[in-house]
Amino acid sequence: MKMETQERGTTVVVTLAGEIDLQHSPTVRRQLMDLMFEQRDVLVDLSRVAYIDSSGIASLVEAYQAARKNATRFVLVAVSAPAMRVLQLARLDKVFALADTVDAALAG
Amino acid sequence: MNDAPLPPSSPVPDLPQGLADDLELIAEMTADFALSRDIEESLRVGLKLIAERMEAEAASLFLMDGDSGELVCRACCGPADVTGLRLPKGDGIVWRAVLRNRPQLVRDTALDPDFTQKVDDATGFTTRTVLCAPMSVRDECLGAIELFNKRGNLAFDDDDRRILQALAASAALALINARQAAAMAEREAFRRELALAFDIQRAMLPPSRPADFPIHGINRPARGVSGDFFDVVELPDGRIAFTIADVSGKGMNAALLMAKTASLFRCLSKRLDGPGALLTAIDSELAETGSAGMFVTMVAGILEPATGRVVLANAGHETPLLLCGDTVRRIEGGMPPLGIDPALFADGCPESEIELGGQTLVLFTDGLTEARGEDGEMLGGEGVEELLLRHRALPPPARMAAVVDAIAPKGAALRDDMTMVLVEERKAALDRQFPARPESLCDIRRAVSAAVSALGCGQDMAGDVVLAVDEACQNIIRHAYGGGDGDIRVRVERACGDLVVRLNDSAPPVDCARLLPRPLDEVRPGGLGLHFIRSVMDRVEFLTSPDGVGNLLQMSRRIDPR
Repeated sequence: MKMETQERGTTVVVTLAGEIDLQHSPTVRRQLMDLMFEQRDVLVDLSRVAYIDSSGIASLVEAYQAARKNATRFVLVAVSAPAMRVLQLARLDKVFALADTVDAALAG
Repeated sequence: MNDAPLPPSSPVPDLPQGLADDLELIAEMTADFALSRDIEESLRVGLKLIAERMEAEAASLFLMDGDSGELVCRACCGPADVTGLRLPKGDGIVWRAVLRNRPQLVRDTALDPDFTQKVDDATGFTTRTVLCAPMSVRDECLGAIELFNKRGNLAFDDDDRRILQALAASAALALINARQAAAMAEREAFRRELALAFDIQRAMLPPSRPADFPIHGINRPARGVSGDFFDVVELPDGRIAFTIADVSGKGMNAALLMAKTASLFRCLSKRLDGPGALLTAIDSELAETGSAGMFVTMVAGILEPATGRVVLANAGHETPLLLCGDTVRRIEGGMPPLGIDPALFADGCPESEIELGGQTLVLFTDGLTEARGEDGEMLGGEGVEELLLRHRALPPPARMAAVVDAIAPKGAALRDDMTMVLVEERKAALDRQFPARPESLCDIRRAVSAAVSALGCGQDMAGDVVLAVDEACQNIIRHAYGGGDGDIRVRVERACGDLVVRLNDSAPPVDCARLLPRPLDEVRPGGLGLHFIRSVMDRVEFLTSPDGVGNLLQMSRRIDPR
């Protein structure tokens, strides 16, 4: 798995790539929760995610809940097909805010 | 007063010389019978001792012949040998002694109407006086001892009568003991022979094969030797011939016919092409030299391991079953049993063809189907299927042992021989052990993905199965092992059109009831794994682990034909 963060104004774009499983999801969770602690608006780019499991999804859910509490933005961007399949299985595809591109999310 | 010396202890009074001799004679006779390996010889020796003691010129010993009801002379001493002489019931003084169960003293034969001259006429012996005593213990009369003519031209008297009565009773007791000992020795010899036959029969069963071998069998004999057998023979071209058979009747005859049939199978399976021809040839051999009224029911088959194709032929045997999950197909058709009439097989024997395709072919003898359960009902084919299904997580040898154990616990006396053969392909696309650590998950996903694709599943299905396996492995790592060390064995195979994944750990048993997927309405992290598994797989079950340790999760999903 690879994880990069990029500042776009006040928003942080977190790009996840590769396979997010039990081995890597703690890293993802820590990064996202740090950003939530800082009350940042966060976009998570999932376009290059080849695989995500329930522990990866759990990290996203935890961040989503914190953002709601903080009233900050938390958007999943360009969700890859494998990631979308898992979101749908969890029936979370209607829960998360989704955007097709980073620019669209920033504009939104 | 106390100083007075004690009177010397009185010596044991001497027995009258005659009585002491008689006791010695009885002791000698009893010891001779007890040590004897030859009862006839002991009878002769005993009779001679008695005749000498009684000063008789001649003596005969008659024993009851159980079959004819006659008294037969079994020992003799004196000038004439009448050994083998048979006295029909009611004839003469001997029979009188036996029927009245009392000694008969005939001082002068000329005055006794029961005395017959026949023997004297035949032997040239002149009988003047006779003493005859029954050889009886309580009410059981074994025969009689008859003495002729007291030496010195004397007649037997009442003392002689009492002594012979005692000696004859002792001889009877010694004979009974010797007969019982002989019967015991015979039983022991028979038991040893039976044990030997059992060993020989065991040696005729095929050796057990490795777990991934496609054919396995089990045989549990009801008593010592068995009329059932199975065999598995690897042919030079890679195909595997197998058979199961049940010989009519029980015991040694059945075991011998079984041995013959087994040898024929072993020998002919390598030479003849196809099970139909094989059964026809065995039938003609058995019918030619067979014992009347005995026959053999037999299924023979040949498996081509490369294709999973099986050709079967059935001669009067229990219908083979083809199991696919919980559905069953009966492989009907066939011929009458072997060894009845070669004319029945004049046109050969029909064959059935089966594509195994992950199914299990089950052959068994009626010892299984006719076994009675706890309710006293016969198990039947359905009962056998149900047991096989219940233990399907076990590899074939253990599965069959579990079925047989369920019918008759180990050590219990069986009513009939039980024999079973399972034919199933044991080809897993993946069967590997991984350390139960998060770092293994990536390797597991790669391996499962490759295996699933190799089994002909599409990309979407492969993705789903990989997710399910990954989630299940996470649960094992996090919950079953609780983060501790351990292994996960991952097995992926195709069985009856299903993709079947088995995950086996050696962690403490997990309470399956507590493993419930959470409701999805509440949005919170965690608890999604099992929901994913249940969403993407058709069937998820916890089975009993084959070695009884750890947990075995089996997940299966129909493979869509592409």
